[in-house]
Amino acid sequence: MSDFKIEYRETENVNVLELKGYLDAHTAPKLEDALQSLLDKERYKIVVNCKHLSYISSAGLGVFMAFIEDVRNNAGDIKLTNMSPKVYNVFDLLGFPLLYEIFKDESEAINKFFEKKR
Amino acid sequence: MSTLRSRINPRSAESYESRFDYTALFEFSKVINSSLDLNFVLGHILLTIMGKILSSKGMVILRKTNCTFGIEMVKGFSSDLVGASLEIKHIPKSLFHLDKVDTKRHPWAKSLKHSGTKILLPLLTGEQLIGMLGFGERYSKKKLKSREETYLRSLANISATAIEKNRTICEVQQVNRKLDQKIQELNTLFDLGKEFGALLEPDKLVRLLVFSLLGQIGVSRYLICLKEGPDMKVVASRLDGPIPQGELLASLSKVTRPTLISDILVKHGTDSRDVLAGVGLRVIIPMEIQGKTKGLMVLGEKLSREKFSQADLEFLSSLANLAIISLENARLFKEAIEKQKLEDELMIAREIQKGLLPSVLPSIPRMNIAATNVSSKQVGGDYYDVIPTMGGKFIIAIGDVSGKGSPAALLMANLQATIRALVPFEFRLGDLTGRVNDLMCQNTGGIRFVTFFWGLVDPAALTLNYVNAGHNYPYLVHADGSVDRLEKGGMILGVIKTSEPYEEATIHLRPNDLLLLFTDGVSEAMNTESIEYGEERLEALLRAHTNTSAQEMIEEIHRDVQTFSKGAPQFDDLTMMALKVS
Repeated sequence: MSDFKIEYRETENVNVLELKGYLDAHTAPKLEDALQSLLDKERYKIVVNCKHLSYISSAGLGVFMAFIEDVRNNAGDIKLTNMSPKVYNVFDLLGFPLLYEIFKDESEAINKFFEKKR
Repeated sequence: MSTLRSRINPRSAESYESRFDYTALFEFSKVINSSLDLNFVLGHILLTIMGKILSSKGMVILRKTNCTFGIEMVKGFSSDLVGASLEIKHIPKSLFHLDKVDTKRHPWAKSLKHSGTKILLPLLTGEQLIGMLGFGERYSKKKLKSREETYLRSLANISATAIEKNRTICEVQQVNRKLDQKIQELNTLFDLGKEFGALLEPDKLVRLLVFSLLGQIGVSRYLICLKEGPDMKVVASRLDGPIPQGELLASLSKVTRPTLISDILVKHGTDSRDVLAGVGLRVIIPMEIQGKTKGLMVLGEKLSREKFSQADLEFLSSLANLAIISLENARLFKEAIEKQKLEDELMIAREIQKGLLPSVLPSIPRMNIAATNVSSKQVGGDYYDVIPTMGGKFIIAIGDVSGKGSPAALLMANLQATIRALVPFEFRLGDLTGRVNDLMCQNTGGIRFVTFFWGLVDPAALTLNYVNAGHNYPYLVHADGSVDRLEKGGMILGVIKTSEPYEEATIHLRPNDLLLLFTDGVSEAMNTESIEYGEERLEALLRAHTNTSAQEMIEEIHRDVQTFSKGAPQFDDLTMMALKVS
């Protein structure tokens, strides 16, 4: 059983998911459920903090892909932050930096949402 | 140290310059060898040399293949030159002036001359020519001194080594990245293989497959369908329009290898191509098991907007085949469970049936009686019974409930309970049959029915009073070999409520008469050529054995049916009851 946890918090109307552990085909449904429940509540400003994410597989990345369109169609975004070099390498290999904004720090990503507003 | 100093006279302008040159050379080498950014390195080389010879134009030409060179970078020249390719067979190995090159013999020099290139400086690593540096006219318009040329050659050598090193590192990095991508693909297959193996729900399998496609290839448009009979059923999709249906999808099941949708038009007509391309799809990956297409992954553009490469298609095929095997396993597992359920149910039905049939038949005075029930694999709803009544009479009954398995067995139980409940009442058999029918109608809801024959045997009077409710006509075989069929009665039971009373008949039994009740499992037993045993054969057998006991007759018939059917599997129970008058 791979270990994967999601912690949720809300900062200034931005929904932060903090991922911990292994995100692979086995645990991807957990992330799917978490994102789906945000969308169900019409929460589209999403920051995913990857500080404690130790591994991500293609299936894990696929979950972000599955939601990004719906989120952006609702004037929201999924922004990713605090990636370890190992995790970033996977994002980079698969060309994801083209599609997602990736920040060093969670607060940068949160601020970006408000910049847009102004 | 002191000897060196004395040799280099600090007051001589030349030696001062050369000392400056050496320091600069060292600095130059340090700078261009410390960066992995080829553009920076090339830029620095150009600017350094342009500064040295005082020219406003410089370019880097690098060798691509054996004779093909390409302009990699320009400064001061028209930027249109970048990317231009030159076919160069031979050039001098040291600095030369383009003016002196015969453009007729060396056509490549023509365009360079035209652009204003004057000086060419070959880049050599050892004997290997890796490119050239080109420069425009010097401000001073002066010729280069030989000392300057030597210096430039040193710069060129250092540059060549740095460029070569840089390119090698870039190549290694690219190879590494490609390797990383391959590893990532393998990881994805491994990740899914692990997970798929543990999953038995097709929905979850499909979702994981989609996630992996989205993640690994970065497609955002997809259509996944699985074969169901002749049709393709869409199980997941995200498209720029309505989901393609029906014949179009079915026609795609002919696709047996990964196919670009732009190529498909030729084979299957423009229609399907345009429809698929119209909703954002680009490539079809069949999901195959042993060369048979069991499903399709139809995908849109990659995140990188690059074309699908052969390597992509191979990866996608592996993914597709991995997924379909798991999906097929999930399906087979479900089927196996259902089959097991069915078998359990049949086992229950068989138990019910065995429990209901009398284990020992009561003995009837002046007669001998025997019965048998051989249940088929599927368990039909056959029933027979012998029930003693008050006053020394006996009810004999046989029935065949429509359908198989436990529903049939339960209805049979119901029939038996009804009969046993009604027998003590001294009603006429025809009226009782009407009641049984009404009760059956209530219980079956008209979906099932029962063919049924029953009779009241009076051994003292040697009579049989009977009603036949749509059952195979029993035989009454006389000692002389003549035969009567017991046909009187009415409707089968359980279909509609009794409106007309059941007819009943009474016959007289004579010594040596044999009464045979049987179900269609006997008369319709099939042989391997799908020919039925048939009533003629049965009747002939009965006529030929007028001297046997009830038990012997039943065994005789069973044997004959078995011989006839040659071991072909039987789908119905085989049930008989025989009554022989002594």
